[in-house]
Amino acid sequence: MKINILGTHATKFGELWNISPRALAREAMENALNASGLKASDIDALYVGNMLSGILGNQANLGSLLVEELGVQVPAFRIEGACASGGLALHNAINSLKAGQYKTVLVLGIEKMTDHSQDEITNALMSAGSDEERLAGATFPGVYALMAQAYMQQYKVSEEDLACVSVKNHYHGTLNPKAQFQFPITIADVMRSAKIADPLKLLDCSPISDGAAAVVITSENILKKNKKPIQIIASEVATDTLSLHDRKSFTSLSAVVEASTKAYGKAGLKPSDIDVAEIHDCFSISEAIATEDLGFSKKGEGARDIAKGKRTLFKGDIICNPSGGLKACGHPVGATGIKQIVELTEQLRGEAGKRQVEKARIGLAHNVGGSGTIAAIHILQK
Amino acid sequence: MITSPVKLWRRQKNTSALIGKKGKILQWTIIRVPAKSFIDQAPYPVVIVKMQNGENMIGQLVDWQEKDLIVGKDVIAVLRRLRTEGKEDVIYYNIKFKPL
Repeated sequence: MKINILGTHATKFGELWNISPRALAREAMENALNASGLKASDIDALYVGNMLSGILGNQANLGSLLVEELGVQVPAFRIEGACASGGLALHNAINSLKAGQYKTVLVLGIEKMTDHSQDEITNALMSAGSDEERLAGATFPGVYALMAQAYMQQYKVSEEDLACVSVKNHYHGTLNPKAQFQFPITIADVMRSAKIADPLKLLDCSPISDGAAAVVITSENILKKNKKPIQIIASEVATDTLSLHDRKSFTSLSAVVEASTKAYGKAGLKPSDIDVAEIHDCFSISEAIATEDLGFSKKGEGARDIAKGKRTLFKGDIICNPSGGLKACGHPVGATGIKQIVELTEQLRGEAGKRQVEKARIGLAHNVGGSGTIAAIHILQK
Repeated sequence: MITSPVKLWRRQKNTSALIGKKGKILQWTIIRVPAKSFIDQAPYPVVIVKMQNGENMIGQLVDWQEKDLIVGKDVIAVLRRLRTEGKEDVIYYNIKFKPL
């Protein structure tokens, strides 16, 4: 069965204090429907990826809330898997099409974070980990810092090499009008930013953001209306232990390896076939490890390849995070996995403007929850 | 931070069995921006420890100096007050690690 993307929309990402969560969701959903040439009444179901509405906003039951906002009464589901909530919502939506239950569904990712204090956010994000991590006082950046320490020691990688991930993504962000940060930074800027959890500094970390993104997917044949529909040719999810310390390796995420291996298999592709990827760079170390787990770089060379420009627009071979990634585009956690799909769709359609990856034909979205406890991989094809 | 007394009580049964157990630091970091209830202790190291029984644990390192922050450092599990609670919360004691 072909899974076709009809229309997409991502809102501006950033500190959107003047927009309510409802209005933010509506903006993404209505624009995605308009882009699809559909009305709300044309969809069979709504899938929502969101992590924190219960903890931060005291609002559960998001499915009902959001179809009320759309003015229809279709089945609606809120899917939660920490920062992979968006990717998981899409995976579940695709499964519903494959099962034949629905034909056309709307998938929304949304998070409203900046309404709340930093303390509340720090605590809320720690809900992605385990009791043991929380009782150890290990913050979310702290857990990734442990991976960064292990990675730097094992592969003799410097803090400057890791900083290149943020420098690249900020450069890409300057080309994305919807990015939270549209200014360039230097390695020196990263090195002198405040330490958060050694060796990670403020500019190694993705920001706290508001934002929403939506896609409409269908199993119906739309070739008549749309000459070259973008298709999702693989959607895979894998899990790992909740706690980092229970794993054999701190320098590779087995959930990513497993999900991407399955996805490449289903798509009949190999890593070098990928033209453009949206990577879950919640921290600089995350993208370095991801490019290895996805097979773009050799083990231990991910950060150095990024430093050499191999993942940078207009000079690299496999371009990673043309949107600016989580670091520069912003990371409204539940929205991120869907924003990645919106970005890849624009890239494959050749509608990405100044940040267009030349001749982009195949795209990969890498969405990770917690410290790698869950991963969703999607492959899109023109 | 509010924590259910029942949850504390249930966990404490396992806590006492860990006191005095030894292990080695597998990996470490220093938390400089902590959650609110740990602010009084920051900056503090968090370590992953390979225990002598082969299990890995994660915990805070206490009574530490810069020279203790190395992979392979011997540590022992001790009982310590966990964090700063609200005025009406149960005071929580938990396992932390001390350099040997």
